[in-house]
Amino acid sequence: MVISVKDLSIGYGDRVILEKVNFQVRRGEVFVILGESGCGKSTLMKTMIGLNPPQSGEVWIEGSNLVAAVGDERLRLLRKFGVMYQSGALFGSMTVLENVRLPLDEFTDLPKPLKELVSLSKLKLVGLGGAGSKMPSELSGGMQKRAAIARAMVMDPGILFLDEPSAGLDPITSAGLDLLISGLSHHFGITFVIVSHELASIYAIADRIIMVDCSAKGIIAEGKPAELRDRATDPWVHRFFNREADASHSVQPT
Amino acid sequence: MLRGRLSARSVVDCWNTLEQKLRGARVKTLEVDVSGVDFCGGAGFALLRYLNMGKMTPGAKVSIVGLATGFQTIFEGFTSKDYDAFHPLDQAKSHPLIEEAGHATRQLIGDVRDQVDFLGGVAANLPPSLFNPKRMRWPEVRHVFELAGANAVPIVSLVSLLLGFIIAFESAQRLAEFGAQIYVANTITVVMVREMGPLMTAILLAGRSASAFAAEIGTMKVNEELNALETLGLSPFRFLVVPRIVAGILVAPLLTCYSILMGVVGGALVMLGLGFSLELILHQMALSVRLGDLAVGMEKSLVFGVIVAGVGCWRGLQTEQGPSAVGLSTTRAVVTSLLLIIVADACFSTISYFLKA
Repeated sequence: MVISVKDLSIGYGDRVILEKVNFQVRRGEVFVILGESGCGKSTLMKTMIGLNPPQSGEVWIEGSNLVAAVGDERLRLLRKFGVMYQSGALFGSMTVLENVRLPLDEFTDLPKPLKELVSLSKLKLVGLGGAGSKMPSELSGGMQKRAAIARAMVMDPGILFLDEPSAGLDPITSAGLDLLISGLSHHFGITFVIVSHELASIYAIADRIIMVDCSAKGIIAEGKPAELRDRATDPWVHRFFNREADASHSVQPT
Repeated sequence: MLRGRLSARSVVDCWNTLEQKLRGARVKTLEVDVSGVDFCGGAGFALLRYLNMGKMTPGAKVSIVGLATGFQTIFEGFTSKDYDAFHPLDQAKSHPLIEEAGHATRQLIGDVRDQVDFLGGVAANLPPSLFNPKRMRWPEVRHVFELAGANAVPIVSLVSLLLGFIIAFESAQRLAEFGAQIYVANTITVVMVREMGPLMTAILLAGRSASAFAAEIGTMKVNEELNALETLGLSPFRFLVVPRIVAGILVAPLLTCYSILMGVVGGALVMLGLGFSLELILHQMALSVRLGDLAVGMEKSLVFGVIVAGVGCWRGLQTEQGPSAVGLSTTRAVVTSLLLIIVADACFSTISYFLKA
């Protein structure tokens, strides 16, 4: 198992969002964390990548506990994965190439021409071969997310965390991003942990899903997408996968 | 022949060795055998491509042989054509002086036009809001008044008190040479009422509130909240600018009065320390200031209040897109406010000199 989450409780202050969550991510799989808006998916991911300290529990990444890691050990663990944030989070004052090259500049002694070649090859891999000299503001939302993926994988991490990769994208761009994720997983054996609630995208890329729920404060379903869609016993999971609206949300003319 | 792992770390050593052996050497054919490579990361592929492009051995025919099938696919995913297609950022072209001057003039004219637009918007929206209480967003005015005024009291107290101290000590030294230390009270009162009270308050307001207005409105613009106001049929001027200007007009004179009081207290404390009685100090202070002096101070503070609030809102509305846009607007708001405050102050001093006010 490349990632093991053990008895993880997360929240803000005294408020508990998820309590004693346990799950594992296998090497090379596309693992999706699913749930309704505001149920703690992104907070769970932020805890898994060490941005958000948990209330209790452990996150093991390739055999080391990130929660307990400090100093150099924590830095070593952080380099095992890359992260793409929902907005892309490219640095606006740098060109796309400089954004992608930044981790190489900071953490390697590679000569400049090689750094440029590595960055350009990653950009080519995500379909942005000609965009290196552009500024992030000149890219569309989908292109910014692709560039962010290129930056996340420039150090050849084995794991990529993606926060809402399809959010705000048109179906064609979103499908292109799904293809990229599947391709990277298939050809490079990269493990993906993706936070999403875009059903079409999930069906296209996910190997395994966990579904978190605020009222249960934990995982209410786990399995393959088709299994959950067809055989979910939990009514909420069934409604989610079959896009059935909550009756209380309908307009009641008075 | 390359063997083992081609990771980011090992590639550095490999590069150094190759550089030593190949740079400067006359190589006609180079065959790189990588059949012994069991791991090849991004840096490894970059090294192979660099060698393959002949960058280390110009003019030589370079071939990479023995790549495992999986590696071959990745290696061919980025070719020398892809490398050539990338053109580094064009160096900033040097513009001739006349072109630079043209750009600057155009920018200046655009800025002036923006200012006129803004003043027009304020002129069109301020009077109707003032004369029709229903149009004025009084809760917003109260909120801004509290943020810009009440919350600024501690810093105004400290700065003004210390200012009174400084003026008193500095003037006491000089006046002592003429045996006229008692006139320290007159100096402090006149300086604080006519000049330093309004000016220091305005400077503090520019630092605290003009920047806050610019940042708040700028962020709203970046988040398209201003567009939302427009499409709801609400004028950003009436909704955002007018309440801030009204709050600025109300808060600046009040804070100035408070600043004058604290400055005078600071000066009085120094004079008490110098051995003068409180009665004498107050008598001197009352003698030195006329109602006209106070009126000048209040007029200044009113104008400074309008400048601070107006410039803050104007720069906020000017915010463009991009990550640094709000920061730029905030800086511009503070710099422009300070500049206009000093210009206005100079105008006041000149006018009051000629009017003998």
